[in-house]
Amino acid sequence: MRSLFNSLDDLLRGRLTTREELAAGRVQVPVGTLVFLGMLLGGAYGICMGLFSVFRGAEDVFWRVLATTLKVPLLFVLTLAVTYPSLYVVSAMFDSKLRHRETLRLLLCAMAVNLALLASFGPVTAFFTASTESYPFMMILNIIFFAVGGFAGLAFLDRALKSVFDDPDNRRFQAVDPRRAPAGDYEDEEYEDEVDSPFQHRDIPGRARAQKPPPSRRVFRFWILIYGVVGAQMGWVLRPFVGAPALPFEWFRNERDSNFFSALGKTLETLFGG
Amino acid sequence: MLAEVDGLLRAEGPYAVGAPRVPVARFLALLCVGGLVYGAAMGSFSLRPLQVIYSATKVPLLLSLSAVVCLPSFFVVNTLLGLRDDFPSALRAVLAAQATVAASLLALMPLILFLYVSSDDYRFAVQANGLLFLLATLGGQRGLDRHYRPLVQKDPRHRIARRAWILLYVFVAIQLAWVLRPFVGSPGLDVNFFREGAWSNAYVVLFRDLLSF
Repeated sequence: MRSLFNSLDDLLRGRLTTREELAAGRVQVPVGTLVFLGMLLGGAYGICMGLFSVFRGAEDVFWRVLATTLKVPLLFVLTLAVTYPSLYVVSAMFDSKLRHRETLRLLLCAMAVNLALLASFGPVTAFFTASTESYPFMMILNIIFFAVGGFAGLAFLDRALKSVFDDPDNRRFQAVDPRRAPAGDYEDEEYEDEVDSPFQHRDIPGRARAQKPPPSRRVFRFWILIYGVVGAQMGWVLRPFVGAPALPFEWFRNERDSNFFSALGKTLETLFGG
Repeated sequence: MLAEVDGLLRAEGPYAVGAPRVPVARFLALLCVGGLVYGAAMGSFSLRPLQVIYSATKVPLLLSLSAVVCLPSFFVVNTLLGLRDDFPSALRAVLAAQATVAASLLALMPLILFLYVSSDDYRFAVQANGLLFLLATLGGQRGLDRHYRPLVQKDPRHRIARRAWILLYVFVAIQLAWVLRPFVGSPGLDVNFFREGAWSNAYVVLFRDLLSF
């Protein structure tokens, strides 16, 4: 247990994903540890979230709390399971130095960071749960905390990807012998030729280089898009998380004809519309 | 006692910026004494001993619990920002801020008694207390800034951590204050620790009130 928390601590301090290690294509944390940590942290927040049904005197309290406790970590693990192949393919397309195992570890690290921050919001959620009757308020509060946790995970990932891709020793640059290229702009030329899409501005290579975001940023954007959309919808499929006390307990809601984005709008409407 | 408060306000002795140990017990003691004394004065509006006792417990509870609830997130945020080695100093800063709020309240105590003596208006009493709490909170901010200044100079990311703390703390403290009300105690109502329907949400009530205008 102690060693588990030590590795969590090292992870949060960024010791497991130092610039040198990432630039060398290494992430040395066992997958099992990361998954277990994720389940533990997610479960801890799930309990705080599930308390809503306890305080509001709903029926089947035990099952409701258990369901939420399991669903929070599941949300993250399943989202990653569904998106990992696409995320890996995107990063490989951009010549990531991380092989598939390392990519998985890095993504799991980001997930653990996300869940650690989320779990630390647990006491706040528990306190508001105890003193709030409004179901929409709790939903919005939880969405905000999930979003803040998500941003922390993304910031972590963004920094890590910079070390992975934007390292000056990137093999794309190494492949070019400076003596054979015209001095000064070999980086731009080689970079444009091999990495970029057909939509490049060949006439002014310097400008084109400045306009194109670096590969780390582009991989990052793809990843956010894929992971974010799947994650939001996964949350919607796994609902209810908080669980309206008036509705009977069910593991999953049965309506399949709606999605996360339209529902968020409706919740905001109920909260502000009285 | 006065020497302790003086040390806290000037950040000297055990309370000094960057002292080797974080004097948690001293901070807590100051917080309890300050909160207790001001709370007792606050609850004396309707001259009912039970309300005095309740309010005297509630103010230290408010100041300490709101900090306790936010500390885990503060810890993780600091770690994620790579500021973990400075966490003792950051902890000292937020505890000093809480203790400074209590010390400011202690100093404002005669003022609230004077206001109570000079007016019987309950609404005025509540508003005056709100204003004094605001002043004390600004005092706490000063304490926070004093401890955070060298940290921010060392690493500008401390600014983000400080902002995160203030945001979360204010959000939680407002709700906790709502749950713990009444602090002053309306003379027309019976004395109870919690008001009926205390466990409701301040923000939801506020939105509803704003909408009904």
